[in-house]
Amino acid sequence: MSIPLPIGSQRTQTLEQLARLCRNAESGRAPWLAAPSGFTELDASLPGGGWPIGAIAELMSDAIGIGELSLLVPVLSRLARAGRYIACIAPPYLPYAPALAQRGVPLERVLLIQTCSLQQSLWATEQALRCPAVGAVLGWPAYIVDKNVRRLQLAAEAGGSLGILYRPPEAALESSPAALRLRLHAMPEGLAVEIQKSRGGRAGLTLRVGVAPTVVA
Amino acid sequence: MNAGLWLCIRLPRLAHEVGIAAAAEQAAMERLAAWAYQWSSLVSYRLADGPLLWLELAASRTLFGGHAALLANIEAGLTQLGYSHACALAPSPAGAALLTQVGQQRCVITHSQLRSRLDSLPLALLALPPDVLAALQSAGLRRIGQLLELPAAAIARRFGPAASLYLQRLCGAASDPRPAWRMPATYSARFEFAGEVHDTTAMLFPLRRLLLEFQGYLRGRDCAVLRFTLEFEHYRHAASSVTIGMSAPARDAAQFLLLARERLQSLALPAAVSALRLQALEFTAASVVQADFFGSDAQQLQQLQLLLDRLQARLGDQQVRGLSSAADHRPERGWHFVTPQQSTPGPDTRSPARPCTLLHNPRRIEPPATLLSGPERIESGWWDGGDASRDYYVARAADGARWWVFQDLAGGGWYLQGLWT
Repeated sequence: MSIPLPIGSQRTQTLEQLARLCRNAESGRAPWLAAPSGFTELDASLPGGGWPIGAIAELMSDAIGIGELSLLVPVLSRLARAGRYIACIAPPYLPYAPALAQRGVPLERVLLIQTCSLQQSLWATEQALRCPAVGAVLGWPAYIVDKNVRRLQLAAEAGGSLGILYRPPEAALESSPAALRLRLHAMPEGLAVEIQKSRGGRAGLTLRVGVAPTVVA
Repeated sequence: MNAGLWLCIRLPRLAHEVGIAAAAEQAAMERLAAWAYQWSSLVSYRLADGPLLWLELAASRTLFGGHAALLANIEAGLTQLGYSHACALAPSPAGAALLTQVGQQRCVITHSQLRSRLDSLPLALLALPPDVLAALQSAGLRRIGQLLELPAAAIARRFGPAASLYLQRLCGAASDPRPAWRMPATYSARFEFAGEVHDTTAMLFPLRRLLLEFQGYLRGRDCAVLRFTLEFEHYRHAASSVTIGMSAPARDAAQFLLLARERLQSLALPAAVSALRLQALEFTAASVVQADFFGSDAQQLQQLQLLLDRLQARLGDQQVRGLSSAADHRPERGWHFVTPQQSTPGPDTRSPARPCTLLHNPRRIEPPATLLSGPERIESGWWDGGDASRDYYVARAADGARWWVFQDLAGGGWYLQGLWT
């Protein structure tokens, strides 16, 4: 069960968000604050030059194990080194501590939250996104409706955090209110990132990103 | 002679006020005394002639920004607790008690102010036995001032030594020691419902009061708690309880209430509740994070702790964890769960790159068709029975995924242990 927001405040938040978007559209600025992804090709193709802070990004990966988490590791490392926490909500597989440490993610900034139901996961995701101490929240919802994506987007905006939703590849067939939607395809070397939707940016591009792990000394 | 400054709080008979049994009135006063201890280290109460609570404030008023500010804080606190009350301030406990009954000008600081304030007040306000009051009236006295002008010896002779002593104490001319309330070493506060309560939301109001009083107690002792217990009494069922834990020492009632609410939402009570008890047995020093001033780091830490506490209250303590590296060459032992923020840094970052995710248990697979790199030999553990001798490779799966696989050198079988997510 999620904590219901008072209708009034939800509406106010939505209106504020709309007003901000309109201002951004007029001024031609990026619609979001960006955190550099650590991949030059990707940063060049994203509005503001990186992952959207205060918004939701959806990653739809063709398979598990093609570099879908490695794509995020540089930004997670950057946020964690800046003192913010990384919350993983009900990951379907175990994030491997030595690998994260190797790649420069301070482990004391990583939180792993297990849940018993999709509802609990969404609730925990919203709580974590709203917390200003948390820099990024990673969720793996098996199923999520637009209304809830929107809700998480507001939470990310309130907390100034990056919300990442890993969604199954079929989700690419539907639309979503997420600010950024990327499809990820396996490649012999690296990862192909297809920008399916980018609020205030260009969609339709496909980039090759080298996600081969580099060990941080 | 009392050189102090006394605040007296007169409360309505609590039995009428909050719908509790008269027997619980003393318990309520105990809780209130514990709450009041945050303002003064000399607290005393009396149930006869209406519940009265005294706080000696001479020592604390400079601490809390003058007596007006202090009084405003205390009155705001009482209102927040939901008690209607009348407060008065005087240089003697009996004087303060008397002034709680008048409509205005209830604060006097010096003895001469007290004396002139008493002068015009009616005799009936004196806490003297009815027969003494009647005798005074029939002697033609109407105002307290008239009585105070009489010599003490004459009053003692005509109305008894007790009456004379009371009058001297009233004016602060005789010492009036009050039994100091002693703070109990553990905290236990009970609230009895007028009837049976079936719904946990109906408990929130009394719970809020219990937690505010608890906060006062913790401030008074200058300590904090890591956990407290809520016990539910049922009429025809053994009591049930929940323990609410915090990730850092806390004493903030709002935080307690938030956590208790999360917990109550998911709580299945075995029967209707007749009484609620709040208990805390262990106390810790108050955390460095104070309510009043903290820098951004401390603030961030507190925000995180609030998040962790909420998550744990709703999902369970074991559901919120951190990750740590461990010094073991075997990948499955190279990590472990820890309490959030308690991670130790990886001991060995010079090993070849590791995959971002690990399977909880290696899974037996067919020998992979495409090996991308390897082998990396890992041998260890012969000393603790978990001996491993393996060759690790990166393999490509049919769907394009990169797998971290090994061949067990003892048995020759192939296993999938990690994914290059």
